[in-house]
Amino acid sequence: MYRYDHIDQTLVNERVAQFRDQTRRFLAGELSEDEFRPLRLRNGLYIQRYAPMLRVSIPYGLLSTVQLRMLAHIARTYDRDYGHFTTRQNIQYNWPALERVPDILADLASVQMHAIQTSGNCIRNITSDHLAGVAPDEIADPRPYCEIIRQWAALHPEFSYLPRKFKIAVTASPADRAAVEIHDVGVRLRRGSKGEIGFEILAGGGLGRTPILGKVIRRFLPEADLLAYLTAILRVYNRYGRRDNIHKARIKILLRALGAEEFTRQVEQEFRAGREFAPSLAAQEVERMRGFFAPPLYQAIDDSTPAIGTSSSGNPAYDAWLRYNTRRHKVTGYRVVFVSLKKHGEAPGDMSGEQMDALAGLADRVSFGLVRVTHDQNLVLADVPQSTLPGVWRELDALGLATPNIGTLTDMICCPGLDFCSLANAGSIDVAKQIHARFDDLDYLYDLGPVEIKMSGCMNACGHHHIGHIGILGVDKHGKEWYQITIGGSSTGPAALGEVIGPSVPKDQVADTIARLLEVYVRERLGDHERFVDAVRRIGIEPFQERVYETHHSAA
Amino acid sequence: MRRIIRRRELVADDARYAGEESAPGTRMVQPVAQFIAALGAGQASGSAAAVLIGPADEVEVLAPHLARLNLIVVEFPKIGEGRGYSQARMLRQRYGYTGELRARGAIKRDQLFFLARCGFDSFDLDPAEDLQASLGSFNDFSVAYQDGSDAVVQVRRRAGAA
Repeated sequence: MYRYDHIDQTLVNERVAQFRDQTRRFLAGELSEDEFRPLRLRNGLYIQRYAPMLRVSIPYGLLSTVQLRMLAHIARTYDRDYGHFTTRQNIQYNWPALERVPDILADLASVQMHAIQTSGNCIRNITSDHLAGVAPDEIADPRPYCEIIRQWAALHPEFSYLPRKFKIAVTASPADRAAVEIHDVGVRLRRGSKGEIGFEILAGGGLGRTPILGKVIRRFLPEADLLAYLTAILRVYNRYGRRDNIHKARIKILLRALGAEEFTRQVEQEFRAGREFAPSLAAQEVERMRGFFAPPLYQAIDDSTPAIGTSSSGNPAYDAWLRYNTRRHKVTGYRVVFVSLKKHGEAPGDMSGEQMDALAGLADRVSFGLVRVTHDQNLVLADVPQSTLPGVWRELDALGLATPNIGTLTDMICCPGLDFCSLANAGSIDVAKQIHARFDDLDYLYDLGPVEIKMSGCMNACGHHHIGHIGILGVDKHGKEWYQITIGGSSTGPAALGEVIGPSVPKDQVADTIARLLEVYVRERLGDHERFVDAVRRIGIEPFQERVYETHHSAA
Repeated sequence: MRRIIRRRELVADDARYAGEESAPGTRMVQPVAQFIAALGAGQASGSAAAVLIGPADEVEVLAPHLARLNLIVVEFPKIGEGRGYSQARMLRQRYGYTGELRARGAIKRDQLFFLARCGFDSFDLDPAEDLQASLGSFNDFSVAYQDGSDAVVQVRRRAGAA
């Protein structure tokens, strides 16, 4: 992974000192709440319903075990002994004291971490594929480009006061596990006609209250022009994005107002005019960066290990875990292991300090001391020798991190909701528990195949409900929690926004409504291989609507 | 006496704006529209002029006239306004403006480092800001990842880059 040099370390240290002074001025009354807000937000600090919330950056989801142990230390020392992994591959702490945040940042800086630009109207954490570097289907490792973009974007002098937040995602795989179509800018690695690496560039995607999928504005951008082109996009957005209405300030609204063609023309014009002043990305720099992400020293493991899934170990729990929570690795003899943070009874994405410490120990022993965070709020051990899998399963199981539900209905994405967030209308964590309780029969879940449920407590859509196969959105009706259901959304292959099935349902009927949707699916599906979302695409939403609203539902 | 920061020193504000009285040693700053209109009508004075641009003004209109200007004031009417950073960067880089470039308005010391990197060399801050204490903020960072107009920081040079 990337290692800080003197410049990187100096920058985060100086940012800690700057934020410490800003906090001091606020506490001393030298800065008003209005003046402090944009300063603390661009360092990931929110004032929440009950306490401040600090969001810590995990660039493209990659963590060393030294860093994971520090996250555990912070959870224990400054919070209530847990952290919440988010859909943007970051971690949030829900209970730090404002005056101790500078100390947390100093601790983070000691392990090459920070909270820079995890919120605020600036360029946010760069996200990517959680299987980068090990996926059999990728064109090249996207992480060197992520790190190059991260450095370019960090404390950017021109683009630190944008109209609104700005999210960039990078993928190198046709499966697009980074969901680049729902980002302000999506970067897809491509090979040119001579085999050289370049990028397809998308712009104008985003969820929130106006969900829009990004449009391709450049089919093939040469590698050297990556930062110059991003500079051009950001400059057009910074100059012409709306600043009069927070709900119309994202780049997606600018792109829609101008039309994709005109927006593209303006970006290309700015790119040509500004290119000589913009940073050029030299091949040597890419090569240098690639060195940080070189594959670990895999051992040559012969092929005689039985292939996964061909035989039973005699332990059904282990077999289920092997089948659902591990994935193929590009190197023979290795396996990708998912660490499920979706145990029944726990808030999705939450992890205790003890679990973090124990997982760090395991990763040191079996996965080259690295851990990844997925945008589905799970963790990944990316390079696990197959021969160690039974032991890995036993340890994860003992830690409560082996629920064999990756990719199934109960592997839900969920924002913190009313329990913490001052924006939320809904207790999304409560509803997650209701769904877990209703669908606790693993065999039924396995029979259903992949069903992605994504849930947001309000229309800011932190839980990405628009792109869930089943999306759940909390809405407030006369002070009561109601839930609007969408179906047919997808983050990939191709991305799609879900359709609302009808009037929202009361809280106690969410799981029942999902059960009815699944009933229709089981009745209508064409064999085992047609997923829920494929069936919705084929037959439309009407049969689902009929079943959900046919009798006793007290829809309002 | 109103004071500003110019090249990291506190000095008397020599600019006067529409509705203010001029005094010896001060100069009037015209809104950009008025400056352009006067040029069009052939009423431009021979001496160097000073103009004020707002966030929505296009710096492109000034580009042909930069030789006539020795002060451009960029307005930041509220907290979070960010268009001025791009205006400054374009004036300095693309159009090669070398005269005084001033940021004026709802600006706190926390923005000075970025503003200087974008090419501003004088600053008319929020009246409530402590100007003496603000001078330290130019040194908030000694390193940066991006090129900037302000040459005092160590910039990460990308290997092989010009």
